[in-house]
Amino acid sequence: MKNFLNKNLNYINGYFFILPAFLIISLFGIFPVFFGMYMSVHKWKVFKGRFLGLENYEKILGDIPAFGFFILGLLLLILSYWIWSELKDKFKNKIFRPILTLLILILGLYLININWDKMLLSGDEDYLYSLIYTLYYSFFTIIFEVGLGLIIAFALYQKLAGKQFFQMILLFPYITPAVMGAAVFFLIFGKAENSFLNQLIGFFGIDPQLWLFDKRSITEILFGIKIEGLLAGPSLALMSSILYGIWSYTGYYAIILLAGLSIIPSDLYEAAKTEGASRWQTFTKITIPLLMPIIFFLMLTGFINTFQAFNSIFVMQTSSAGDTMDVVTIEIFDHFWGRVKYGYAAAEGVILFIILNVLAISQYVIFRKRLNYD
Amino acid sequence: MTKIFNSETRIPYLILLIIFTVSIYPFFYMISTSLMTAGEASNQYFLPKKLMFENYYEVWTSNRFQRYTLNSLIISSITVFGVLITSIPAAYSFAKIDFPFKNIIFYLLLLSLMIPEIITLLPHLLIIRGEIIPLPFGPSWMNTLQGLTVPFMGNIFVIFLLRQYFKKIPNELWDAARLDGSSHLNFLLKVVIPMSKPIIVTVSLFTFIIAWNSFAWPLLILTRDDWYPVTVSIYSFVREVGPNFNLLMAACLIAISPILLLYFFTQKLFIESISNFGLKE
Repeated sequence: MKNFLNKNLNYINGYFFILPAFLIISLFGIFPVFFGMYMSVHKWKVFKGRFLGLENYEKILGDIPAFGFFILGLLLLILSYWIWSELKDKFKNKIFRPILTLLILILGLYLININWDKMLLSGDEDYLYSLIYTLYYSFFTIIFEVGLGLIIAFALYQKLAGKQFFQMILLFPYITPAVMGAAVFFLIFGKAENSFLNQLIGFFGIDPQLWLFDKRSITEILFGIKIEGLLAGPSLALMSSILYGIWSYTGYYAIILLAGLSIIPSDLYEAAKTEGASRWQTFTKITIPLLMPIIFFLMLTGFINTFQAFNSIFVMQTSSAGDTMDVVTIEIFDHFWGRVKYGYAAAEGVILFIILNVLAISQYVIFRKRLNYD
Repeated sequence: MTKIFNSETRIPYLILLIIFTVSIYPFFYMISTSLMTAGEASNQYFLPKKLMFENYYEVWTSNRFQRYTLNSLIISSITVFGVLITSIPAAYSFAKIDFPFKNIIFYLLLLSLMIPEIITLLPHLLIIRGEIIPLPFGPSWMNTLQGLTVPFMGNIFVIFLLRQYFKKIPNELWDAARLDGSSHLNFLLKVVIPMSKPIIVTVSLFTFIIAWNSFAWPLLILTRDDWYPVTVSIYSFVREVGPNFNLLMAACLIAISPILLLYFFTQKLFIESISNFGLKE
């Protein structure tokens, strides 16, 4: 009897302790997604209007089945990775696995490409382009953050004096609140001929640029050719905000990668040294392969995080950059804050949510089995 | 004695020197510009001729800037306090108490990490307006302190970090405490919290930075400037900066300094927890 009471008391205690957090997180953390879905199928401008069904989605995507096939294409890319990595020894015929992987990969890319064009034809161009701008933002920030982070981590790993100090400095940009950091960069990236960055590139004999005020794509500025579509690359304005993103997160990635480096067993390096491997060889043959799981993990979480970047870009926006800085979060915010189209903005949010979930699934597939250092 | 600079360490030092310069330069730029005259600042001089400390005074006393800074301090402190009040018991409960559906509830709450903030803003706004559920403390939380803080008082990531730490506390301690007639609450207050100071400091700093950084949400729910946080004020300053670069930078420096100060005192713990995060499951 006493045991029974004790157990029940335990239960009550347990529930009681989680209650406040549970209430707040479910109301403000989880419920909004479902409510967002509910809003997205209604006409909703400040107050709720009539039921619309999928009309909002139709307006944004142009062609809803095309979006479905687009997502299917993304999932096929993940499937091809899965087949490549998981079914290594499952097939007797050695040639079968690469061919299957390749076929699925091509099918996935084909679906993505053709359905994207279909959506662009009749959908909301502003929104769809904002997805491309977001992709640029994520791609360039992540590549440079992880790449530079790796180099810094490797430099810090060399048992230097003052390592602690450098680590502290490295995180300064990371802890700087985005609004204030962006305000500083807003001046550094100024369009005036004597702005800091223009003075700096002038030192190397390059003409002053308009930076955040330039909506021309970087390919146009660098090579003088006009390209349409995805390959055009981000505008100089977006690139400037990308540089801010890189500045603020590289140190953070470096610290995590440094922690990753320090769990690689040191006897591996010693063995390489006795066999006369050069430093570059050790780096490419030992360090990079062993760090690959962490690098992949950082890239994917980085993608999910940068898809949500908002504060710094919002502060650095300029009217002369046109819509080239309107990443997806800004597009959504603009729809409900500026234009008070709540239902429409909610539908845009739900689509973003779906895309992020696909990214999360790929993260799960790739990291379900952590690679071990064996 | 080994030399600090030899052929082995030359390149790493060079890399670090470049990174150091790039990381620190914007701060130098901010401080230097904040001490210039308006003319020097708009010509983007490298250093001021004469240090204009009156810039800080001018910013501090103009446009209710001190009020906004104070607002940010209040909002962030209350948010941190609220997060700790809800998260510490929850993390303790998830780590140490057995009750039905414990893991299911935990993973359900963990799902909230997957939801982008931009999607939640709009439903939050309707909740705050009192259109979805009736709210305590007044019919609408627009333009109020509770509207700015309460939505952020539950944070599953903080609970997750605390839970990892609490799990390492040996169960024997609780068994002994129970024999002495201690309740869970008592044990939590007297034993667990004092043992977990490092992690509590770290999550407090995390939460404080996030709260100090909050920008889109205040922009949405504040139609008057009574509770404007410093981020919103800096934003409107950027939009209408004109020639006053020096004052903008002075304002930024004031607005960043509490964070830098906190970081300075807790950096060791902070770096440690970032190193662990992402590597431990």
